[in-house]
Amino acid sequence: MQKTSKAFLLTGLLLTILSSISLYFYTKKLLQDQVEESLYSTEARVVDALRDDQPVFSVSPVIEVRKVDKTGKKILKDTIIYDPSQDEMEEFRELSTYENIGGQLYQITIRDLVVESGDILVAIIISYILIFVLSVLFLFFFNTNRNIKLWSPFFKNLEQMKKFSISSNEELQLVDSDVLEFSELKEEIQLLTSKVRNDYQNLKQFTEDVSHEMQTPLAIIQAKIDNIINEHHINDKQFEQISSIQKDIQRLKHLNQRITLLTKIDNNQFVKVETVNITKLLADKVETFKELQIDYIILHSKTDLVVSMDSYLAEILINNLLTNAIRHNTLKKIISVTLMENSLMFSNYGKTPLLHPERLFQRFYREVNSVKSTGLGLAIVKKICDLYGFKIRYNFQDSYHIFEVDFKGNGVADE
Amino acid sequence: MKYLIAEDEIDLQQSIVTYLERDGNLCEVASNFEEASEKAYLYDYDVIILDINLVSGSGLDILRSLKKEHKDVGVIIISANNSLTDKLEGLDLGADDYITKPFHLAELNARINAILRRGKYGGNDLIEFNEIKIDTRSRTVFIDGNAIVLTKKEYDLLVFFVSNKGRVLSKEMIAEHLWGDNSDLLNNFDFIYVHINNLRKKLTAEGAKYIKTAYGSGYKFIGD
Repeated sequence: MQKTSKAFLLTGLLLTILSSISLYFYTKKLLQDQVEESLYSTEARVVDALRDDQPVFSVSPVIEVRKVDKTGKKILKDTIIYDPSQDEMEEFRELSTYENIGGQLYQITIRDLVVESGDILVAIIISYILIFVLSVLFLFFFNTNRNIKLWSPFFKNLEQMKKFSISSNEELQLVDSDVLEFSELKEEIQLLTSKVRNDYQNLKQFTEDVSHEMQTPLAIIQAKIDNIINEHHINDKQFEQISSIQKDIQRLKHLNQRITLLTKIDNNQFVKVETVNITKLLADKVETFKELQIDYIILHSKTDLVVSMDSYLAEILINNLLTNAIRHNTLKKIISVTLMENSLMFSNYGKTPLLHPERLFQRFYREVNSVKSTGLGLAIVKKICDLYGFKIRYNFQDSYHIFEVDFKGNGVADE
Repeated sequence: MKYLIAEDEIDLQQSIVTYLERDGNLCEVASNFEEASEKAYLYDYDVIILDINLVSGSGLDILRSLKKEHKDVGVIIISANNSLTDKLEGLDLGADDYITKPFHLAELNARINAILRRGKYGGNDLIEFNEIKIDTRSRTVFIDGNAIVLTKKEYDLLVFFVSNKGRVLSKEMIAEHLWGDNSDLLNNFDFIYVHINNLRKKLTAEGAKYIKTAYGSGYKFIGD
């Protein structure tokens, strides 16, 4: 819309300038012709008067009749002379002819005030600007009004599309239009969005079903293995292999749990909002990890960080970030966790920065394959942050991987 | 003890039976909703192992009617659904515990024992194994009448061992029992040694040498 208005204005301006210029020259020529015509006719009258022997007065500077001795050329020119009646220098058009009347040579000079071209130009430009402004204003309001009416269904639908969320079940409130194209567009949007939503729902349902359906066969495998090691005589090597199968079953189990969790967050199944004391939660976690011989986590906190969110998700958020730091802290250096008024920072040592930090929060993205993980931990962290409008940032600074969660905005409870 | 295993996956059901019968327990099975409802209604069990998603019905409905009848029975729910709401609903309805598939049979057994020990359902809050006595109420352990001091993890470990006496326990099972989901954090289970060795030392000092190594990397709690 703005673009059209701009183009409209520019074209209008260009046309005005061009037409002003041509009008200026045309008017000037017309006026000049008119002046010349009147000069010739006055001259003819003076000559007639002289022929009829009527007395002819010289009226300077308009008519001058002089007796001369020799003839000259007929001259038509512009001249600037003093006009006593106006008391200023004025531009005149001057026709000077020599006529032989009754044997006497006369020089007849006729002058007429020329309308100054500057004045014409100014007059033209002023009137043009006036016309232009008025017509632009009129057209603009007329057009805008019409356009607003015409385009309103389009913009309303556009607004709706901006609000469109694949995971929400809210129907789009699309407006119909009597413009065929808009009406068609609306139909297509409706079709497309419902198809996209259906596909997404199906996919989500499928993911959920698959991870759900996988639990039972896994349970059967697990149970059978548990009996095999108790009932049959196996050798140490077979036991090692069976233990390794158990580890893989665990991995699948955790993978399933995390996929289900992601789906649940997507489905908005966590609606409960409680006041969660992050500081306390972290202190408890650090204690638990100490039992696992992980005693290199240092907690810096001045104030209690209190956030409004689902307590289960809060625990997962903390757990995943801490687990991530522990997992990648291969040299067992100090992991520091800093709590501030409304943010939380984890930093752990790392030799090299990440190759693809932008893909860090993607599902199944792993920077190194040696570390056994489901590849979903940080994706879940991001999902949780998105759910509550928290900001999560990753930085690599002086050989430290730093994750920062900013709870500002929706989540932080007032002190 | 008498158990009812209501599980429609026959393979899983039979594996559970095999594992639990090793201790001389009596196990009955139900393979669908109707059978499970009927048996739960007609007979008395110490513990019912109840799958939520039974063919033709929900285990939660059986749980509801059990509680309506005021049946004095322990219920442990097994479910493929690891959802907190399902878990809470099950526990709210009066289930004693909730375990998510897949699980270790040793874990299931330990939890069944824990339910029995609460004393409500014909069990006893005292565990005895030869000269070892564990008072689960005060969480204290006596060997030949002498109290021995165990850390929280060592205590949990000992109870887990005694609950699954005579069975081989791998480090994975032990780690998962003690640390749950956090156990997948550790790429090797060396830290398990620390706890097991400490417990073993404390028991051995009192002459209770029951923790044996099995297949090189597993453990077995067994009397000679």
